[in-house]
Amino acid sequence: MRAGFAWQGYAWSAAATVACTLAGLAMRSRFDIVNIAMVYVLAVVVVALRFPRGPAFTTAMLSVLAFDYAFVPPSGTFTVDDVQYLLTFAIMLAVALVVSRLVESVKTRAAAQAALELEAETERIRSALLASISHDLRTPLAVMAGASSSLAESGEQLSADERRALANSVFQQARRMSDHVAKILQMTRLENGAIVLERDWSSMAEIVGSVLARLRERLSLHRVIVEVPSELPLVRIDASLVEQALGNLLENAASHTPAGTVVRLRVERRGDELVVIVEDYGGAIADVDVARVFDKFEHGRAEGSAGGVGLGLAICRAIVRLHDGRASAQRMPGGGTAFSFTLPLEPAPPPPA
Amino acid sequence: MSAPRLAILLVEDEPEIRRFLRASLGVEGYRVVESSTGRRGAIDAGTHKPDLAIVDLGLPDIDGINVIRRIREWSSMPIIVLSARAQERSKIEALDAGANDYVTKPFAMGELLARVRAALRHAVRIDAGSAVLRMDDVEVDFDARTVQRDGQPVHLTPIEFRLLAALAKSAGMVVTHRRLLAEVWGPTHERDTHYLRIYMKQLREKLEADPVQPRFLLTETGVGYRLLLPPPAAA
Repeated sequence: MRAGFAWQGYAWSAAATVACTLAGLAMRSRFDIVNIAMVYVLAVVVVALRFPRGPAFTTAMLSVLAFDYAFVPPSGTFTVDDVQYLLTFAIMLAVALVVSRLVESVKTRAAAQAALELEAETERIRSALLASISHDLRTPLAVMAGASSSLAESGEQLSADERRALANSVFQQARRMSDHVAKILQMTRLENGAIVLERDWSSMAEIVGSVLARLRERLSLHRVIVEVPSELPLVRIDASLVEQALGNLLENAASHTPAGTVVRLRVERRGDELVVIVEDYGGAIADVDVARVFDKFEHGRAEGSAGGVGLGLAICRAIVRLHDGRASAQRMPGGGTAFSFTLPLEPAPPPPA
Repeated sequence: MSAPRLAILLVEDEPEIRRFLRASLGVEGYRVVESSTGRRGAIDAGTHKPDLAIVDLGLPDIDGINVIRRIREWSSMPIIVLSARAQERSKIEALDAGANDYVTKPFAMGELLARVRAALRHAVRIDAGSAVLRMDDVEVDFDARTVQRDGQPVHLTPIEFRLLAALAKSAGMVVTHRRLLAEVWGPTHERDTHYLRIYMKQLREKLEADPVQPRFLLTETGVGYRLLLPPPAAA
């Protein structure tokens, strides 16, 4: 990539010099020779703006030589009659140097600016994370402390049903909390690049089957429709991570749409990609949110009580990106939202003997 | 008739976790032997000869995987591993080292008890030498090498049959990709996971009502497969 870019720069140097010389030859009859020098200076500036110092300097050198040979009397030789043209040459080289330096410093400043913005974004995420921890983790903790202390202190006075209900809520909240913690850790690992993909040939149909089994309880209040064609190519992916990505989309659909609505899970092949789509039919997210819904801590729909650290979709997107795929959300014409991700296909492995 | 109580060895360093496991396993009628370190656990397995071992992977002294290897040197007792979410790799290593199943912390007690029962049932079935497997309307006779679905014969290719047999040998428990590949195709194919994807799909199409949402031939994503059998009818 970088080598190709440098090569391109030198190609531009040569092309610009040739173009200026041709333009100069055309101008010669009507313009002063000093104005022709200006055309070369323009070429030097343009190249210096787009490419690093090397090509800029080369353009200046080539321009000096071409200008000298073609226009400076006596033309057709590199001899210089008038000493004042040496000044023209010096200015051309100086312009190349100054513009390159200028462009470089602007680029450095832009990079510094970007770093600053990134830092601000990190800070925003950190405070959102803290806010989310205090809400999403403290609530279950409060329930667990309350319910378990009731059991411990006055279990004998409670009916068997009440005891069971309290114990059950301790369990449910503990599970919910463990889920949140796992998601926070997972997001941190994904962000730090601490996750190495363990790619292996996998079947998307199998992943669909296992995620539906894992989330059976979570999806029990929705009508889940599964559309997986029987002939799908295998994909070389980290199956555990992609299972998480798909699971997060399904959990998102289940927690943000009313009970009884349809959640449709489709897998299809489109060219050299596999597309996995989760459609829900519970109130479309607002226009603005479609673009941002995969960002961290965006809940998409303004329902505080629906819960979820808001990390599920961000984790999904990070996993999909690691696989060189894309995650996106779209409003559907009839209301509802389609969340989808793609996974690139590779040539199939050799079949079993 | 009162059978002798089955003994379970519990190798776990966290006293709070031992506390609730001891209580629940006790209620289920098991006798629990507790070891708080890996070394102690490997020794207790030899002296107490339990019917099953539950081994935590995150032990303070020696790795849970080492405990499993030491037990496997002399015993085929079922071993269930307790692993944390962050221990994906060592979980697979433990299974490849000879553990029969795993439960990820935090788990519901019901989940662990179901695994324990499946593992013990398996041990009993091996002793009894039963060669017929029933999954709803499917019946597999491993001696006669025949499969029937709804009373109709189903043809399985030799490889499909070997794969089904490899899963049935550990019925109810997880079998890693590597083990299945080594057993069905030989040790040189331990990394050819796509063979499994292709043949599991064929098996499910022949034996499952809905191949995408199987009821018996389950996928353990990233780990392997599990043949889940319905609990045996009181016989």
